[in-house]
Amino acid sequence: MATTATISISSDIAPGFGGISESMNLTQAGNLTDIDSTTGFSIRKLSTNSAVDLITMANELVEPKDSVAAKIFIRNIGHKGVIDKSVGVTIGVNSEPIGLLYGGDWMMMPLTCIDADDITATPATDDTVVLEYVMFYEEA
Amino acid sequence: MATTTAAVTLTSDLMSTNMSVSASTTCMKAGTTADGLDGMEYGYFDLVTGDEYDLIGATPTASKASKLYLKNHSTDETYFVAITQGTQAIGKLYGGDWMFIPADFHDAAGEIAITANGGTNKICYALFHEGITKDASA
Repeated sequence: MATTATISISSDIAPGFGGISESMNLTQAGNLTDIDSTTGFSIRKLSTNSAVDLITMANELVEPKDSVAAKIFIRNIGHKGVIDKSVGVTIGVNSEPIGLLYGGDWMMMPLTCIDADDITATPATDDTVVLEYVMFYEEA
Repeated sequence: MATTTAAVTLTSDLMSTNMSVSASTTCMKAGTTADGLDGMEYGYFDLVTGDEYDLIGATPTASKASKLYLKNHSTDETYFVAITQGTQAIGKLYGGDWMFIPADFHDAAGEIAITANGGTNKICYALFHEGITKDASA
């Protein structure tokens, strides 16, 4: 039961920067046991510029364990094949804005999974946009 | 135009059908489709247990399209760094974990801080941005 994430970053901003290529196995907190629970892969279509919960921690059918090694992957996939890199969706934790995911952008972030720390999404406009996401966590 | 590309491959066998997701994005300046991020900061340091550290020394331009990569290179899986933004706890990166997030830096309280636990954590980070405000020389 393994979950693995690999990142590759290339950039020509700074001369001599050799890029980044790293992999991680998603494990439980403080040991090498594979992480054991997931929300499954989901998509959410947003068509208004109001905030919605992508993940409502208190409503998860399998209760996540708090303050351990959970992670979430989110990607803005645009709508019907159209990816607009000039507009985005603000991703937040418990109303704290983390940052804007523009069209095509993705993120991988650790989570507390505390009930108050819901994951929110707020589109910049009311143009339809779709987010895909999956959370990995430990069962409480 | 400077070009920064971030790609990810995510696989999992936790579901009945194995999941495999690949994604790649070119990191653009906020609100543009043709102008890439053109600034970066890259660092590696040790963080002693209990130390809290503002990860970014100078303040990137707020509410833009900055991207932050952070990896805990500690080889001990019991070591971790707690990530906070302002007063909001984000999560923990254990030894070997990495994260990649859009970073808003919406105001002075939006800076990202990390706190080491378990031992001396080895941290690598890269911030890709479109301008920072340097501190004036004293």
